[in-house]
Amino acid sequence: MLLLDYQNVLIESLLRDRLAPDASPSSVDQIVSDFDNVTFHISTPESKSKILVSITIKCWKELVTYGAQAILDREYGPYIVQPEQGYDFSVQVDLDTMASKPQEEKDELVRRVSLLKRNAMAAPFEQAFDEFASLQDQAKNYSSETAPQGVREGGEVRAIHYREEEAIYVKASHDRVTVIFSTVFKEETDRVYGKVFLQEFVDARKRGVQNAPQVLFRHDAPMELQGQPGLRGGRGENVGYVTFVLFPRHLTPQKRDETISHIQTFRDYFHYHIKASKAYIHSRMRRRTADFLQVLRRARPEEADAGKERKTASGRTFRAQA
Amino acid sequence: MASQTPAVVMDNGTGYSKLGFAGNDSPSFVFPTAIATKGPAGGGGGTGSGRPAVANKPNFLSGGAGGHLSGKRGTEDLDFFIGDEALTAASGPGYGVHYPIRHGQIENWDHMERFWSNSIFKYLRVEPEDHHFLLTEPPLNPPENRENTAEIMFESFNCAGLYIAVQAVLALAASWTSSKVQDRSLTGTVIDSGEGVTHVIPVAEGYVIGSSIKSIPIAGRDITYFVQSLLRDRGEPDSSLRTAERIKEEFCYVCPDVVKEFSRFDREPEDRFKKYDVRQPGGRSVTVDVGYERFLAPEIFFNPEIYSSDFLTPLPNIVDTVIQTSPIDVRRGLYKNIVLSGGSTLYKDFGRRLQRDIRHLVDARIKDSEVRAGGQARSGGLDVQVITHKRQRHGPWFGGSLLGQTPEFKSYCHTKAEYEEIGPSIVRRFALLGGPGST
Ligand SMILES: Nc1ncnc2c1ncn2[C@@H]1O[C@H](COP(=O)(O)OP(=O)(O)OP(=O)(O)O)[C@@H](O)[C@H]1O
Ligand SMILES: [Mg+2]
Repeated sequence: MLLLDYQNVLIESLLRDRLAPDASPSSVDQIVSDFDNVTFHISTPESKSKILVSITIKCWKELVTYGAQAILDREYGPYIVQPEQGYDFSVQVDLDTMASKPQEEKDELVRRVSLLKRNAMAAPFEQAFDEFASLQDQAKNYSSETAPQGVREGGEVRAIHYREEEAIYVKASHDRVTVIFSTVFKEETDRVYGKVFLQEFVDARKRGVQNAPQVLFRHDAPMELQGQPGLRGGRGENVGYVTFVLFPRHLTPQKRDETISHIQTFRDYFHYHIKASKAYIHSRMRRRTADFLQVLRRARPEEADAGKERKTASGRTFRAQA
Repeated sequence: MASQTPAVVMDNGTGYSKLGFAGNDSPSFVFPTAIATKGPAGGGGGTGSGRPAVANKPNFLSGGAGGHLSGKRGTEDLDFFIGDEALTAASGPGYGVHYPIRHGQIENWDHMERFWSNSIFKYLRVEPEDHHFLLTEPPLNPPENRENTAEIMFESFNCAGLYIAVQAVLALAASWTSSKVQDRSLTGTVIDSGEGVTHVIPVAEGYVIGSSIKSIPIAGRDITYFVQSLLRDRGEPDSSLRTAERIKEEFCYVCPDVVKEFSRFDREPEDRFKKYDVRQPGGRSVTVDVGYERFLAPEIFFNPEIYSSDFLTPLPNIVDTVIQTSPIDVRRGLYKNIVLSGGSTLYKDFGRRLQRDIRHLVDARIKDSEVRAGGQARSGGLDVQVITHKRQRHGPWFGGSLLGQTPEFKSYCHTKAEYEEIGPSIVRRFALLGGPGST
């Protein structure tokens, strides 16, 4: 239901078409945007059968400090090429060498490449999840009083300034990972919708969706973010902080990839829904207006006609009966 | 932020929507302007592609989905698909397909709003607040439609800026890529033929000469129907609309002379007659013969009487009339730059035939007036040129991409702030993009 894909649909469909058995190679040159200040360049600079996919991300430098390179090496190893001028990272798909590969391998490659943004932005989450695992291990040796500072307090806050005014903060502790989104509403209406929408999230657990992560919403920066530079908040500011608390059950090795994909799309999903809700309200308003217009139309003729002279086709006149 | 991101260019046509980013040479997505929602098809006037609709109140304000709003509390209005997915969903149970655009104009705003929201978030994957948008509209679009569009773009999506351009003007800009076009002028006659309707639009320095526009009720869909009827008459094993459309797009061309073409088919049948393999659902494969429809189908532009009984004027005559009814000082420019645009102008030799026929009409008229002047006045002749170019297929989109990437584009847009200050009427006027004085 209005879920957003994790992958880039254009890259996915383009690669799938080109890798199809009966496809004929053709050149392509597209610069396209994706959410969160990501830009892709899909091109065939060398030959039609070598597709170069490059990505640039606003927060690339931060991602690198959180180990993005290692993750990308792991995911794209043999396909990585020298980053294209003006981009942060490039992979190249050679259609000729892929042609002889089994279909599953092609599908897997399409899936991987179309998840380029997701994988690059997974770095701080993966790091935090690993840190959680090690803190959890260490914590087993202590009671809550005897634990050393590092274990009790949890790890560093990893900040990802992925949009001009908005950031994601990830912090691992021995029993949870906290993910905080700072989110800015450009418009008052959106803020109101946003609040209603978030309240649903907050209430989800009360209504018995026990597996859902705990969600908190507030207007000033949560305690976890103390000491972070560039924080805004408080009354009168249009900033909100949405905190997700991920519990160990969300962080198991089986769940972790899905959790990362999911939480990454939160902001876009959130704004998409605000906009979809507005569309829904608009359709109700149109409906209402149409109803009112109909009432008005029905009301008008009686007044205008009352007592007016009318002519029949033959020219005789008569008075309308009031 | 919106100052660095590429503008989003959306050309929503009766049949297909072309979506992408300014600066690219082709749209990122081209899919049917269709939306599938829960419930039966039709309603809301959204039957742009000729599929019969369930009768509905002819009121543009009412949406097909708005049936029993008070009674519904669920999320069924979030349950929909657009584009190819819509057609797939509608082929199964539970969903009905709607076409929110008819004859180039948006008729169902509820559906269109949802179509856009899905286009933007699911396909283009952009936060509309970060981007400027360039949308297109058909010629003679009522200003109310523009306002409705602006309302949705600004109030639902908070888009950073909005520019709405007339498709024909964009098509002229698209022709600048052709080597035959020397000066980048926005004067010319645009023949835009898509799925639902064919327009002949004279444009002088970027302004549409509204009083001279002519529309022809023959376009892609009619040609598809015509091919289909020929396949049916011959009893071909597959005569679905889909097959007819594929055959039309792959095999049809315009011939110089129908009678000669018939005899050519008889003389060299191996060359002329083709075969088309269709894989039917269920895995069975059949072969359809392709014959005279190859040249007969597009011929209905030039000899409409073979298809229609109430519309009989050939396209070249329409073009000639359009130019003749335009102000005299621009006629020369209109003849010299006749630009093709849209999917249904792609037939091989379409431009060549059109140019020849228009030239004949013009020459005959000149001769006639010379005779009447008794040989006193001699005309220098008129240059008739039909421009066929590489970007013709998605002409309006490509023109939008071209203009949307210029440095001044964003300053030509109306912004959200201006919209809030002045209201929807602000979009009744846009400064001319790509006109004289701009790069
Ligand atoms: N190669 C081709 N030869 C002939 N017809 C084609 C070709 N490719 C596409 N078409 C036809 O062009 C039509 C679609 O064109 P286009 O996308 O310009 O229309 P549109 O913009 O959706 O509609 P409109 O402009 O009427 O609102 C379809 O009828 C399609 O069958
Ligand atoms: Mg069109």
